[in-house]
Amino acid sequence: MGKQMTEMLKGTLEGIILALLAVRPAYGYEITARLREEGFSDIAEGTVYALLVRVEQRGLVDVDKVPSEKGPPRKVYSLNAAGRAQLDEFWKTWSFLASRITQLHEHVEQQGERA
Amino acid sequence: MTRWIEKVTGSLEDKRRWRAYNTRKAALPVGYRTAIDGIERYLMRSAAIVKGDVLVQMLEDLIELVEASAADGTPIRDVVGDDPVEFADAFAANYRDSHWIDRERTRLAAAMDEAVQQQGANGEGGAGDER
Repeated sequence: MGKQMTEMLKGTLEGIILALLAVRPAYGYEITARLREEGFSDIAEGTVYALLVRVEQRGLVDVDKVPSEKGPPRKVYSLNAAGRAQLDEFWKTWSFLASRITQLHEHVEQQGERA
Repeated sequence: MTRWIEKVTGSLEDKRRWRAYNTRKAALPVGYRTAIDGIERYLMRSAAIVKGDVLVQMLEDLIELVEASAADGTPIRDVVGDDPVEFADAFAANYRDSHWIDRERTRLAAAMDEAVQQQGANGEGGAGDER
């Protein structure tokens, strides 16, 4: 994954994870797997885990501990009301930013053509 | 309530958790143990955590990830990624002691408020006069 991609993802990955959790509750490794399915192929499982710790600390998800046959009990993360509000905010911000950047891109290209 | 002895020696509870962490670490398969030792070393030096309970919480969260990965047989490279610094920094950010920097941020904002006010007090277009 390119350096620029990594930098850009940094600010959005939390929102992306909340968006995936809005579909249904999930284990950490399921989130990573779904990210891969959606084309975010190079994100380390540890990085996803770090963000899950963060959204848990910030009270955006509810956590259920489920005993596991192997290894430690596994956490199931589900989006709560605060998380849903945060996700709404994320999509609003994303739409705003995406439309501004697209607009800028078009303007700059038009000016380039005229010059 | 904190027992007086803990004020001298640090929290006994933190020490108990620290020992439990080390026991869990010793039980990991060798590759995962090497990985967690490397991550732990980096976190200890980069995160600059002073509070004992925050520190052990960080290590407990870390070992939970590594134990689960070992149990699932997730390759270490898939856990830490091509750039382990990326992962370690994202992880450490959750525990960084923010009290002192918060204070400094408040001071920075207050100093700028004062500066803006001083500029305003110079009369209209105060900045322009000196150009």
